[in-house]
Amino acid sequence: MNSATFKGGTHPFEGKSLSENSEIRFAEFSGDYVFPMSQHIGAPAKPCVNVGDHVLAGQKIGEAQGFISADVISSVSGTVKKVEPRMQVSGQPQMSVVIESDGKFETVSGIGEMNDWQSFSKDDIRKAVKDAGITGMGGAGFPTYVKLMPKDDEAIDYFIANGSECEPYLTSDYRLMMEEGEKIVAGLKICLMLFPNAKGVVAIEDNKPKAIAHMTELCKGEQRIEVRALKTKYPEGGERQLINAVTGRYINSSMLPADVGAIVDNVATIIAIYEAVALSTPLMEKVITITGDAVAEPSNLRVRIGSSYKDALLFVGGLKKEAKKVICGGPMMGQALFDLDVPVTKPSSALCVFEHDEVAEKPTTPCIRCARCVNACPEFLVPPMMVKAATNGDLEGFEALNGMECMECGTCSYVCPARRPLTQIFKQARKMVMNKRRVEAAEKRQREELERIASEAAEAARAAALERLK
Amino acid sequence: MNNIEFTLEKPHVSASPHQRTEVTTARLMTDVCIAMLPALFWGVYHFGMYSLLVTAATVLACVVSEYAFEYFMGKPITVKDMSAVVTGMILALNMPPYIPLWIPMLGGVFAIIVVKQLYGGLGQNFMNPALAARCFLLISFARQMTDFSVESMPWATTVVDGVSGATPLAYIKAGGEVDITSLLVGNIPGTIGEVSVIALLIGAAYLLIRGVITLRIPASYILTVLVFTAFFGGRGLDPYYLLCEICAGGLIFGAFFMATDYVTGPLTPNGQIIYGIIIGILTGLFRLFGGSAEGVSYAIILGNVLCPLIEKYTVPTAFGKGKYQKSKTRSAESKLNNMVVVKTFAITLVSGVLLGGVYVLTKDPIDKANEAALYSAYEELVPGADKYVDMSESEALAAAVENINAELSESGVYGDVTVNNVVTATDGSGNVMGYVVDVTDHEGYGGDIQITVGYMPDGDTGEIKSTGISFLAIAETAGLGMKAEEPQFKDQFTGKPAMAEGDAPLALTVTKSGEAGDTEIDAISGATITSNAVTNAVNAANMAVHAAVSSDASAVFTAASAESSEGGNE
Repeated sequence: MNSATFKGGTHPFEGKSLSENSEIRFAEFSGDYVFPMSQHIGAPAKPCVNVGDHVLAGQKIGEAQGFISADVISSVSGTVKKVEPRMQVSGQPQMSVVIESDGKFETVSGIGEMNDWQSFSKDDIRKAVKDAGITGMGGAGFPTYVKLMPKDDEAIDYFIANGSECEPYLTSDYRLMMEEGEKIVAGLKICLMLFPNAKGVVAIEDNKPKAIAHMTELCKGEQRIEVRALKTKYPEGGERQLINAVTGRYINSSMLPADVGAIVDNVATIIAIYEAVALSTPLMEKVITITGDAVAEPSNLRVRIGSSYKDALLFVGGLKKEAKKVICGGPMMGQALFDLDVPVTKPSSALCVFEHDEVAEKPTTPCIRCARCVNACPEFLVPPMMVKAATNGDLEGFEALNGMECMECGTCSYVCPARRPLTQIFKQARKMVMNKRRVEAAEKRQREELERIASEAAEAARAAALERLK
Repeated sequence: MNNIEFTLEKPHVSASPHQRTEVTTARLMTDVCIAMLPALFWGVYHFGMYSLLVTAATVLACVVSEYAFEYFMGKPITVKDMSAVVTGMILALNMPPYIPLWIPMLGGVFAIIVVKQLYGGLGQNFMNPALAARCFLLISFARQMTDFSVESMPWATTVVDGVSGATPLAYIKAGGEVDITSLLVGNIPGTIGEVSVIALLIGAAYLLIRGVITLRIPASYILTVLVFTAFFGGRGLDPYYLLCEICAGGLIFGAFFMATDYVTGPLTPNGQIIYGIIIGILTGLFRLFGGSAEGVSYAIILGNVLCPLIEKYTVPTAFGKGKYQKSKTRSAESKLNNMVVVKTFAITLVSGVLLGGVYVLTKDPIDKANEAALYSAYEELVPGADKYVDMSESEALAAAVENINAELSESGVYGDVTVNNVVTATDGSGNVMGYVVDVTDHEGYGGDIQITVGYMPDGDTGEIKSTGISFLAIAETAGLGMKAEEPQFKDQFTGKPAMAEGDAPLALTVTKSGEAGDTEIDAISGATITSNAVTNAVNAANMAVHAAVSSDASAVFTAASAESSEGGNE
């Protein structure tokens, strides 16, 4: 098989065999559900319910603020218990709506109704997606309806369903392709209705031959959709790398995929689009993988958004061994947790629990300049030079070395034989640069405001003087 | 089920990624050691068990000095990372097989302490420690470091006069031909690890398969040497000659094991290619236009020093920036790679042509300058002559000088000395005015001493006397042996007769009494070896002049002296 790919990357231990054959099970929990107002990139939503209100599943509880934002939908019926900051996966508290489930899961009327989506207009489709509160479900959480509104619909020639799932241990997308492939094809057809010149591509890493075969079978007869095998390599599913592998085009950090005529959505997002448009169902559930060598029964679960990871872990039998590390997401880009009582959100993908912490077990030694990180960096950066700039506090040097192009994929840290915390250093430096930019922008705004006030005052004084002269 | 609370009492928190490769620094270093084993095995098989002892001693010296330095400096002990072992092995494989053990051990200490630890330890040194130590040893112990104890040369397929005890590369440089199979297998003299191309390539393949090195540096390096040699080797695209140049002289060892050193090579992909090209050009330059036939070590060391500069200018274009934005097609990448190759080739070509051009342009003037220097020496010693006739013009004289050289080397009475040339100075009408003899004494303290001695008949008596000596080549110790060039010593030879009584060449002797007699020369204090060498050279020159005067030229010479005495009477 001639699989498409990008330049660079690495091959971390896959670990997918733990859960890849476990069929998706539905897990429902009682008790409190927590809905953070910021599960997406962009402005946080604003709570639109009050403590004591009774809500139904499918009801909007957070209102999108601004263009790049998304509604938050309740996944349960029950009473709003609190509207307060709650601890999140990131380790920081965030404004959340807490709903005490009544255990009935009553939905608002109309949910699940079949629509005649083939006759929908572009606006109908976009509105359905927006109202469903769909955001990218691959990890970043970019509001999907924004993605579906490029400047020029005609200029889009690739619509890519991302089923590469390059992150180790994760199998939820694989299971979705195996079990709900029809929805992916239908969802892709809905998306293609928006873009008359686009070709639909289902991109799958070649370590999932069954999924490739299954999706190829489902796409048979679809003129505008094809399945493309990708080389198994991390980070094949990164948006920029995926576009490069499929189309040969390049985008940088300041560009959108639409700038090179491509739109990428995760397969789970495409299923959500299908359900929103065809079944009038907003985004209320998420398939996540609970896996790792310490988990009693590694599984793929369909859970309601807002559930606690703790409940999900208990559902699969808890732990079979003492664990050292808990990761929300995959081991390459996931977030280490110190508390399991945090909610599942729209971009959540997995919970990995490991017996060992490889990071702590392997000590850091001096950089030997082996250039393995340089060869592996999918963004063609030179990590050792960036580290030098960052640790010397030379933020301008860091930017000059294209440090802001870093997407923190972790490849450099993974391949480093000296176990240097490269990605961590870059995360910090990037935050510092962004902070600096924010401060500079604020100062500029303030300066301009002062100048405006001064010139207005001068103008007024001049006008007054002219008035007196008359 | 409730065990979750218990087991997650203290989960670790760290930034992603949470997975790490199995590859460690120690594993990479161990791989490099393993890759050098075939070459070491061949070296031991070919040169004997002593080579193994040399290797063990060098590695031991490196590891112990690393341990000792870190122990006494209160730093964490890092000998387990195997980097000192790698340094020791590379250094040992660069040693002549029969070297006294203390030399490589001293090199090991120098490599680890001076080159590596004093600059901050692993990852901080700017020169390859093993190579810096080798160069240090080459400069300090030139004789031992280039003594390959070659008695016979079964690998040489032709015989070149005067070239013995040479490595194949030196032999090729002198115009000889060697057996290519011997080169590939390693049946040649050389350092312990560099001789067998096959063993080295097995190790290189291991490194490539294990992903320890990439081909960028070795390939660009070897290709550049190939192109450079094809251009300037003087034998064009002769495949036999090119193969010899690549297989011999430690190029393969250098390209795969020394130029690929992580710490001292560039990080950037294009930088690595440019680095390979630069050391390739330097190696070619040193080999073809330099004094010695081998140039790999010095070339790589110079490349090490250029590395930060190369890196600075070869930071790659980030994904999706610059050139990637212009092209929408997939072929962008291959186009880019082509560009690198084309640029690389163009750089090689241009710099090669420039360097070659400089050589060609300066070769003639340099030769002329040398000739002029020789003539001015003649002019100084026998002034006013119309022509200086080389001894090759007279068969009889050349034969006589050959006899003298044979006699000198047989009797050894004046040590190891050779008469190079006897120049006859003639006036406008072809009469002999005097002689200049060019002699080399090989027993100077710092190597060869080459002098010219002038002879003219005395204006009054017609007796042939020395008009003085002039040094063409001398490399003695400054302040001691170099005083030979000062008048106090040098002028003692002026006016000394060439013949002793009874028509025999005069033999001068060196005295330390400070009161030299007529046939004695006062030694330079503290430099007896130099004094003896120069005096022996003059004695050999006396023999040559004696032969010249006794031959058929003598009649003319007498006539000339009579003429000059007539002139004196007027």
